[in-house]
Amino acid sequence: MNKRARVRLIGVTLAILVAVGAMVYYTGGKQGAYEGDLASVSKDSSLVGKQVKVGGTVVAGSWDKQSNPMRFTIRGEKDTAQTGPTLKVVYTGTVPATFGDGVVAIVTGKLGSDGTVAATDMITKCPSKYESATGATPIADLIGKGASMEGKPVRTTGYVKPGSIASVGSGDRFIAAQNPDGSGTTIPVTFSGVLPNGMKDGSQVVMGGTLSQGKFVATSVALEAAQK
Amino acid sequence: MVTFGLLLLGVALLASVVSVGSLLMGHMSSEGDGLTKFGYYCTYVAAGALSISIVVMVSAFFGTDFTFRYVAENHSPDVSNLAWLYKLSGLWAGREGSFLLWTWVLSLFAAWIAHRRFRSLDALSNMGLMVTNVVLMLFSAGMLFSNPNNPFKVTPAELLDSSGKLIGAAASWGMNPLLQSPAMIFHPPTLFIGYAGLTIPFAFAIAALIVNDSSKTWIDIVDRITVFSWLFLGMGIGLGSIWAYTTLGWGGYWGWDPVENASLLPWLTGVALLHSFTIYRKRDGFKRWAIMLSAVTFALVILGTFITRSGIVQSVHAFEADPVSLYLFLAMIVSAVLAAGIGLWARWANFGGNDEFDSLTGKEAAYYFTNVIMLVAGLLVAYLTITSALPTWLPFGKHAIPPTTFDAVARPVGILFAFIVGVCPLLSWRRTDGETLWARAKWPLVGAVVIFGLLMAEYATALLPIYNKMVVQTSTAGQKIAEAGPAWYYNGLAILGLLAGSLLIANTLSLFITGAMKRAEAREESFGAALWSILTKARSQSGGYLAHIGIGIILIGLIGSAMFVFDNTYTIAQTPGTTFQVDQYTFTFVGSNENTLANGNQVSTLNLDVSRNGRKIGSMSPGQTTFATTQQTRTDAKVLSEPLRDIFVTMQGVTDSGITMNVKINPLIWFSWSGFILLLLGTGLAAWPKPGHALVVASAPAKGSSAKRARR
Repeated sequence: MNKRARVRLIGVTLAILVAVGAMVYYTGGKQGAYEGDLASVSKDSSLVGKQVKVGGTVVAGSWDKQSNPMRFTIRGEKDTAQTGPTLKVVYTGTVPATFGDGVVAIVTGKLGSDGTVAATDMITKCPSKYESATGATPIADLIGKGASMEGKPVRTTGYVKPGSIASVGSGDRFIAAQNPDGSGTTIPVTFSGVLPNGMKDGSQVVMGGTLSQGKFVATSVALEAAQK
Repeated sequence: MVTFGLLLLGVALLASVVSVGSLLMGHMSSEGDGLTKFGYYCTYVAAGALSISIVVMVSAFFGTDFTFRYVAENHSPDVSNLAWLYKLSGLWAGREGSFLLWTWVLSLFAAWIAHRRFRSLDALSNMGLMVTNVVLMLFSAGMLFSNPNNPFKVTPAELLDSSGKLIGAAASWGMNPLLQSPAMIFHPPTLFIGYAGLTIPFAFAIAALIVNDSSKTWIDIVDRITVFSWLFLGMGIGLGSIWAYTTLGWGGYWGWDPVENASLLPWLTGVALLHSFTIYRKRDGFKRWAIMLSAVTFALVILGTFITRSGIVQSVHAFEADPVSLYLFLAMIVSAVLAAGIGLWARWANFGGNDEFDSLTGKEAAYYFTNVIMLVAGLLVAYLTITSALPTWLPFGKHAIPPTTFDAVARPVGILFAFIVGVCPLLSWRRTDGETLWARAKWPLVGAVVIFGLLMAEYATALLPIYNKMVVQTSTAGQKIAEAGPAWYYNGLAILGLLAGSLLIANTLSLFITGAMKRAEAREESFGAALWSILTKARSQSGGYLAHIGIGIILIGLIGSAMFVFDNTYTIAQTPGTTFQVDQYTFTFVGSNENTLANGNQVSTLNLDVSRNGRKIGSMSPGQTTFATTQQTRTDAKVLSEPLRDIFVTMQGVTDSGITMNVKINPLIWFSWSGFILLLLGTGLAAWPKPGHALVVASAPAKGSSAKRARR
């Protein structure tokens, strides 16, 4: 191999590498967003004023697609008990096709001093088969939507209020509550089928059916999958 | 039946283990032909068992057998005339099934290789088949020993009623509505064919190192399979983009999402791999490049699988975390690169090759820079995709890299790459002197100037006005354009890109024209007949050049549809006859309808008329669907295509104050699609098997070979 050509070849290669490296370093350093789970981002005050990327479940009823910019609240993806911290999001871009209650939204933007993420990017996670079993709306959110939900087939989840289970033919079969100890929003459930084996006070149940005049008319009642 | 499926997976695993063992022992003993043959038969057994397991799973889908948990979770409730296709596509709608499909396709490739090489039983092929079977073994084990990956699981009895219907929590199980789209039916299988096929060049690269045969024998065996796999990988990427554009409703087709990147990584290094093969075959050079690129491409295939399946990065549709997948794939990535690296170190001298770098003006230099750019691009995109999972002491550790960074780097590098591709065919091997270059470049330059002139007219009348409107907007889309650099840089880059595209197209077209003219003169045939001969006879080269033209057209499309998108949100009064102006289009609101479908889903649509310069060009009906069972909504975006631009409308919602919708104008997007089709056609032409091309190449030890046991 020609020596001068070899030196030039290496020189040009290095020049390309340095140029690409500099571009990545410059733009990535300026725009890279800290990625963490929702709980840690909401607690870490050193992140205020910085770019963050965080994902969470959209809290039912917290949003309005028409408002521009759009505002909504997200909560930790695994926080099914709904006791953990939440983050407020203000988003200015195009709303993804599947955005809605209970969908996992991953947002990127600057964390403000008031704990709000000014998001410039949002993607919604494909609710792949995995999550489909957990797509049920908590009863508090369902009831919170009020009359608009009356008579529509829905899936909902709640806890069996202690002491409320009754036998078939006695009217309401049990009372579903927002929390395992029976506190929070409650709703009586009517169901003519067989209640699942092992259902007891405080069990989490997933039900399909409709809201009707202050009662939940269930067509199916199952224990939440995680309890098996 | 579920247990039968599981049993078949066990048979496949066992067969691949035994095959690896007997091929290795056959290789090491002096009288190993019997053992080696047994290894080949075991490959057929593995492919047979996996094929039956696929039949079992597909029949379960068609028979709606919900005792298969995977069927229960992924069946489609669709009742349209595409229902049967969605039953079939249930096979790859979830994590477990797509893993099964991947493994099955790989076993078919292995069986194909076994079939083609059975008669020669040469050491190189035996070892290539052995490495393929090692990969097959690891994949089968990954399904059997990791519950989240196992496709044959039983549905818990309490979720089924006596007639086999799903009840309770399982009542709402089924295929994600977003996956019920025609592009999604074909996207995963094409991608998996590409992924699985790229195992073969890796296996034979390792085999060439094992038997220390640096001749082009292994290239001849895997060349077409590699082009074929790369073609399918490209098709998969294209179908994924079409799906994102038509179904996901955000108005674009590429967002540098980790899962998108995962499919792009091996495609990028695949470009370098194919070009190294060309030099290996024609010039006996780039041998170490070919070995390393085979390994890196395979490692990136596994990395792609790893990114989607290990749950290490947040993405549109990554799966839940799974420790078995994490360690399995991580180990495969590391050992693939290590095996090639150590092997190459041991066989360094023999794989030296005949690389002639006389000057930067030679063709070799252009190939070399193609390799450098594609390898750097592949590794860089890989690194930037996984940064958020890396510790903080590494550059960008714990930080997610936004699409704008990828764009900022990809644009100048892509344009540089297009220049190299455009100039390369005009260069000579070793070195090119100025006079020769000028003689070759003269006429193509005229063509390039014409194309560039047309593109600049479009730029001045359509693209630049959009830039000027967008850059002053306070919206996110406007800000992103403003932050991408000063106006002179942004527009300068775009103009350079259009120039590179014009040069690339004109130079490559001229090769066909001059080639056909020379041939017509020499053989005294017509120009058309000569051109046809070139296209059909010199398929690798013609296919490659067609693919190059495709790249040039794609570049022009990307510049329009990624850099000059008009994007704005409008709220209008809900009275028929209301009009509003978007860029050069006038929209008229005609009316809206609400429908409830038989399955309870609610569909609301808007009717809009679109006109330009007072002439109606079409109607659009964007809408929203609310799903009854989950109460989730899906935006149904609509596209109106004109030759030079798409109009993309999504309905955001309706309130008392009016209707809100987002409108995008995507200029030159059809250049991207049509360039892509040409790229696929060109690659397909290059991958087309040669008639009567018998693969008996390995019967004699070729130049540079020190194979100990070349047979026959």
